[in-house]
Amino acid sequence: MPPQVQQFVDTLNAALPLEGYLVIGAIMFAIGAWGALIRRNAVVVFMCIELMINAVNLSLVAFADYLPDAGGFGVGYAVLVIAVAAAEVAVGLAIVLAVYRSRKTVNVDEVNLLKG
Amino acid sequence: MVIAFVFLASMTLICSFGVVLSRSIIHSALFMSGAFLGIAGFYVMLNAPALAAFQVLIYVGAVTVVILFGIMFTQRPQALHYRTIISRQLWPGFFVAIGVGTFLAYVVAIQDWSGTEAGNGLRSVAQLGENLLGVNGAPPIFGLLFEVASVLLLVAVIAAIVVSRRRVGDGVDRGVEE
Repeated sequence: MPPQVQQFVDTLNAALPLEGYLVIGAIMFAIGAWGALIRRNAVVVFMCIELMINAVNLSLVAFADYLPDAGGFGVGYAVLVIAVAAAEVAVGLAIVLAVYRSRKTVNVDEVNLLKG
Repeated sequence: MVIAFVFLASMTLICSFGVVLSRSIIHSALFMSGAFLGIAGFYVMLNAPALAAFQVLIYVGAVTVVILFGIMFTQRPQALHYRTIISRQLWPGFFVAIGVGTFLAYVVAIQDWSGTEAGNGLRSVAQLGENLLGVNGAPPIFGLLFEVASVLLLVAVIAAIVVSRRRVGDGVDRGVEE
């Protein structure tokens, strides 16, 4: 195998730096924040919040794998975060259902009873 | 590794944009499960295969199905134009998101991560279970967190039932004899 090809294959097989995962997590968090701010449908706002939670989880697991003293405990925290997010989805969708039943809409800018 | 990373990153980010920008809410939900699958692939790359299995089971399976149920119960047929699905905060939201993303990416990119190296993760499921229960060298706080999470899930289940329950006499009560 010629050395250029060998070098290219080595580059492809090399482990990635930690920044790669963290930047992906940051971009995904920003996309989720954008969607949560601009969409009107409450269910889509929930989906965007789930995206943000997943981005933070990705950062946690990346730190757990890369930092030498982390001991892999970040994965345990990630499991707890998943449990809390599942509880949040259940309660949140119940609230959306209750709002839909009383207001006949799930658009967050039409539910303005508390607006001053 | 690089090929897998580029594939998973593009899948995750494209699906995330799809969640925000697709006009049909069903498509948003399906894009969301695609993004979760990409994250599960990242977990496999980061030496956490058990967490990847949890991700596929809980997010791609359960959360997507629950959200599809929510869509099924709450949607009226409506015109699918961007003017109707995007609130008035389009540009402020866009600039806030750009600012947050740029700030976070900048902060993590200027940091010196030279002492870090891949492969410190614990691949074994037995180790993950011991960590979750706070035994065998794991911080003992995990045992408390495990209990708190279980109580939280119970409270969330009861709260979901109580909040979304239809009171007797409201609307159409099929099967309820007054």
